[in-house]
Amino acid sequence: MLFGRYKKNPIKIADKQVKDWKYATCGYCSTGCAIEIGVNEAGKPVASRGVGGADVNRGKLCVKGIFEHELFTSAGRGDQPKMRNEFHEDYQETTWDTALDRVHKEIRSIQEKHGPDSFAILSTGQLLTEEFYTLGKLTRGLIGTNTYDGNTTLCMASAVSGYKRSFGSDGPPGCYEDFEHTDLLIAWGSNLPEQHPIIYWRMKEAQEKRGFPLIVIDPRVTMYAQMADIHLPITPGTDIVLQNAMLNVIFAEGLEDKDYIEANTNGLDELKAEVANYDPITAAKICGIDEGTIRVVARLYAKAGAAMSIWTMGINQSTHGSDGVVGINNLSLCTGNIGKPGGTSLSITGQCNAMGTREWSSCSGLPGYRLLEVPENREEIGQFWNVDPEFFPKKRGLVHTDIYPAIETGQVKGLWLIATNPMSSMPNTERIRKTLEKLDFLVVQDSYADVETTQYAHMYLPAATWAEKEGCFTNTERRVNIVRKVTDAPGNSQSDLWIFNEVAKRFNAENGDAVNFPEKSADIFLEMGELSKGRLVNISGMNHDLIEKQRGIQWPYTKEQADAGEIPPQGGKRLYTESTTFSYPDKRAKLIPLPFINNNEVPDEEYPFWLNTGRLVEHFHGRTKTGKVANNNKYSPTPFMEINPDAAQALGIQHGEYVRVISRRSDAVVMAQCTDRVSKNAVFIPFHFHDCANRLTLGLLDPYSRQPAYKQQAIRLEPISDQKAAALLNKESRKF
Amino acid sequence: MFKVRSDEPQYAKLWDTETKDTNRYGLNIETTPEGSDLRDKSLNINNDDGIGDNPNRYKQHGFFFNADNCIACHACEAACSEKNDVPSHISFRSVGFVEGGSYPAYQRMNISMACNHCDDPVCLKGCPTRAYTKFAEYGAVLQDPDICFGCGYCTWVCPYNAPQLDPVQGEVSKCNMCVDRLEVGLKPACVASCLGNALDFGVIENTPEGRTQTKVDIPGFPRTDITHPNIRFQQTRSMQREVTRTDSIPVKYHKNDEKEGRYLPVVDKKHGVKKHWNWGKIFHSHENAHVVFTLSAQAVMGVFLFFFISAFLASSPINAIANSNAYLPILCIIVGLIGYGLFKLNMHLGKPHRFYRGFNNLRHSPLSREIAGVSLFFGALAALTFFSFFSGSVINVIQFLLAFTAMIGLVLGSYYMYKLYRIPARPYWNHWQTGTTFYGTMLSLGGVLLGLLSLPFLSNTLALSKVLSAIVLAGLAIETIGLIAHRRYLTSGEGEAGAAHYEQTTTFGKVYLLRNILLGVNIVTAVTLFNIGIDGLYSSIFASLLVISTLTMAYLGRILFYVLVIPTTMPGAFFWKNKGFVEHARETGLADMPQMGVAYEHHHPFKVGELMQTIKENSLKDMVGHMKRILSGG
Repeated sequence: MLFGRYKKNPIKIADKQVKDWKYATCGYCSTGCAIEIGVNEAGKPVASRGVGGADVNRGKLCVKGIFEHELFTSAGRGDQPKMRNEFHEDYQETTWDTALDRVHKEIRSIQEKHGPDSFAILSTGQLLTEEFYTLGKLTRGLIGTNTYDGNTTLCMASAVSGYKRSFGSDGPPGCYEDFEHTDLLIAWGSNLPEQHPIIYWRMKEAQEKRGFPLIVIDPRVTMYAQMADIHLPITPGTDIVLQNAMLNVIFAEGLEDKDYIEANTNGLDELKAEVANYDPITAAKICGIDEGTIRVVARLYAKAGAAMSIWTMGINQSTHGSDGVVGINNLSLCTGNIGKPGGTSLSITGQCNAMGTREWSSCSGLPGYRLLEVPENREEIGQFWNVDPEFFPKKRGLVHTDIYPAIETGQVKGLWLIATNPMSSMPNTERIRKTLEKLDFLVVQDSYADVETTQYAHMYLPAATWAEKEGCFTNTERRVNIVRKVTDAPGNSQSDLWIFNEVAKRFNAENGDAVNFPEKSADIFLEMGELSKGRLVNISGMNHDLIEKQRGIQWPYTKEQADAGEIPPQGGKRLYTESTTFSYPDKRAKLIPLPFINNNEVPDEEYPFWLNTGRLVEHFHGRTKTGKVANNNKYSPTPFMEINPDAAQALGIQHGEYVRVISRRSDAVVMAQCTDRVSKNAVFIPFHFHDCANRLTLGLLDPYSRQPAYKQQAIRLEPISDQKAAALLNKESRKF
Repeated sequence: MFKVRSDEPQYAKLWDTETKDTNRYGLNIETTPEGSDLRDKSLNINNDDGIGDNPNRYKQHGFFFNADNCIACHACEAACSEKNDVPSHISFRSVGFVEGGSYPAYQRMNISMACNHCDDPVCLKGCPTRAYTKFAEYGAVLQDPDICFGCGYCTWVCPYNAPQLDPVQGEVSKCNMCVDRLEVGLKPACVASCLGNALDFGVIENTPEGRTQTKVDIPGFPRTDITHPNIRFQQTRSMQREVTRTDSIPVKYHKNDEKEGRYLPVVDKKHGVKKHWNWGKIFHSHENAHVVFTLSAQAVMGVFLFFFISAFLASSPINAIANSNAYLPILCIIVGLIGYGLFKLNMHLGKPHRFYRGFNNLRHSPLSREIAGVSLFFGALAALTFFSFFSGSVINVIQFLLAFTAMIGLVLGSYYMYKLYRIPARPYWNHWQTGTTFYGTMLSLGGVLLGLLSLPFLSNTLALSKVLSAIVLAGLAIETIGLIAHRRYLTSGEGEAGAAHYEQTTTFGKVYLLRNILLGVNIVTAVTLFNIGIDGLYSSIFASLLVISTLTMAYLGRILFYVLVIPTTMPGAFFWKNKGFVEHARETGLADMPQMGVAYEHHHPFKVGELMQTIKENSLKDMVGHMKRILSGG
């Protein structure tokens, strides 16, 4: 064998000189991976790795988590509060005191002039739970606006709404361990390998051990669809037709779990009557899945010992989003697949703390899944916070997606945007630009000073990001996990918690500091624990240190369990494991009939293609973070469109060329990637890029959740003859 | 030693309990026998003198890739780049894909590949600086960027695009098999990070648990007979008969039933059939330095060769030049010309001040031998020129010896200049036409050069011009024969060769056509001049045209030679590892953004300080020892 040199130099392998590994929970999606950040002697974060003993990710991380330590030094971070009088003026740097005094003054003056709800607060799924709770207390308890919501309306609202309608409360009943017990998995509009690669890996591990059939329902031939035993390339926006048809077969063949239905549900007769309209022959014509396949899938599903359904945005981001979730729940309930190992209805969530905001931010109600509509809930929280319960609104106010139209029409005059960027994330972003121009006062609180919304803001508040502060996230399987502070925030930026507390001081002073705002995250967590007692989301047995020790704890974990010395399990915790324990007053779940009305913007002669939008593994949301991490960004540094090669050829569109995409809203320029992944009448554009996919989207709202339908709209395509000009235009839109 | 965590998951640990004796090619899996000198030595990783306790330390290891499972999540690439601090515009491991079928019967098969730590590492053989070593430990092929001078020859010879030439740093680096992790029983970082359960790693020929195949080919993977790579595959899912690649390389893969159903590369006419000039790509090619060097070296070699041979032929009209006043200026000019070519070549290196390392691998590298041969030629020619200013009997002997030495340099240098392009991983070059074009150019360009330098200054040019025309004609004829055979080879040859021909007739179709027309024109002109000779105004103008036309043709032919070559790489993705996107990002300025993952080509300074430091830090004894090792291979 030829070895080359005998006299060898020492081998050099990169050594990042890590002195200490600090524990955190990943700040990207809601999988909730435990991550360790390596810091060197100088305290600089230099490395990332998955925590080996953490049950969620068992040492693994995805491409985003692997480079998460680079976030701290990424370009465009804000380090100084800035303000100006008009959005067309230049910003002036200012002090925190001046800035926050002005925030207080402007909020009150707008509220005095136009009513308490004329100032809106829009938050996110990105903050720590303690921060959400504090913001909720500030908003509901002191500021008193009912125009308060989070951007989770854009991703999880339909899941929340569907869970509430079926089970009487939000709260996903399953867990990742269900993969290890299930006999059949259906993924509805979920592309795990791209969106939640660690959950995919957990599924793959389980599948390689036990082998269970996988059915993927997706109009696109994703990698997940290719891994499936059966792929159902459904017509966009027709999921509930397929669900109804499956139930039609299940009832017709007597495959339902009669005992479970009898003991646990209401509404069977109404459901049966509705699904009778969806025999597979009729349904096939609407949903594009042939009748034979519908029957096969329905039988497989109903006959499986334990069957598990997961879903993501393919269901949620639709005008039938909430119905789609209810439809999945209907299937689970009718086959007795709730609360048992491997049998569940599990929504796979988007943002790292979408769950935390649902549980504790008071956006859609009051903390701990309490509702404004329930007088006892208002009473309870009013007493606990030392706020007059009458100060709380009697019902939920405008949701996220209704707030922008209210700005447009002048009911809302001021807006505080916290860690969310509607200029990239809302449908029809051209309309959002015009909307933001109308505000009398816009505060943008964000880690990045170059987030596009600062173009229209009157004030920019620089916030710490992720592990520059301390607190908890809740993940998809209801696991509370902790982020420890790894490094300081740049310059004069402050944690969101500090900002909320400072703003609270100013409002609190109006009535003699009546409401208590603890400063420390760990103390706030204990306060939440206190409020969680007796609730579904019971976290009273947890505290920050125990959470880190256990690498995250799934709720419920109660004070009683902790006092009894019961160690929280590694994983595998489910909801509704006992019969008739649902959250409706009679403890039964509801079976809800789902008539289908096709209100999608279906392709026609003028706009002949479906536009579907979605996610790429290397990017997160509006690319504010991943667009600046080269080792993430490089896999898709500029927007593109998947288009069927035959469709491209018919239009004279070349692979790799820029193309103009036109909808009834506006247009966008993207690079064409010809691939048979998409059908001849559909294109796919990732939503991550600013001034791109969401210039085109219609975003019809779901009637229950008010979540926009990003995934079903019509567009047309035009080849661009001047490719150089198109390249320049594209480049100008890519500041990062 | 690498620190193993207390909660290190089982999947990250190596698993081979039993191993085979020989691999499928008959080579021992044990890299070195018991008791060998190569055993029980520290790898000295970052100067740590510990020795790992891995029981399979002296067995050839390799990656295992299960193509059924890869989801293209990029975790392997990211984990590698994170661990090795690899800049974003290069990567030791990369994921590309092939796709096929019609919606919804669509298939995409992803391929993740790094270095295959081959049994027969062509990188090690090719590298002129001896930056590569194959270690008895794990059979790892490691490259030392501190030795490398950034010529990129390893990136030419490797069929898998494993060595990464960093245009910013001006050096190559590559997968190090994570030998630090192997020493403590852990799999490489990429393998431990895999989220599709596609990558694995172990002693070669072992089948990981739960896997059923250990194949050496999958669709889209370059041929494995060149280097016997240490990678094994599983790919059990049925594939479409034809799969395509999304990057700009005009190659697709077609199932060949006559070759056991293997997928062979065939041409994919993905950019249409329109002919273009693409002058931008030609003039901005980083390979122009090679064009200047090879053309100048070949022309000068030609001129010298004519003088040398004429010295033995008393009747040759070329002797008239040697005896004229033009002789010394001609010598000076050709020394300057080849000197300039060598200078351009050297400054094209990533680390030009490390030029002297080019001789390190005389034992194996054709490039090293070429550098040695051409340097010998250049040195002897320069010395000969110097001594030609003097006369005397001793001087004559010296001149004679130098001329012989230069001739040896010419023979070796020109042969290895040809030989170094015979790269199996670059089918467009790997044909004898490379030889005919190089030697043909030596005659045609040499003849033109000598004519240009002598004819205007001589009174009686008829005989000389006829001889020179004959030489030019011979050169052109040799090149033409080669080109005809080459074209036949390309159109009937393998995918990458055919693809290069497709590019030759489309992307650069007009340039190619122009070159061919010029070749024809030049032949006609040379025949005419041979018949009429150059005597008088009209024939001189005619000859000047031949000069311009031959130079243009030589330049176009040579730059096409470089820009057209398509290596046998694995398929890229739509953006990442897509040559087309890299060019687009550079042309449009998208590459200005550092997070784009595209770097511009750079020129690198000659760092005199670094060179002086090397000279200072190494004693004469070190240098002698170094030279001995060059010869002994130690």
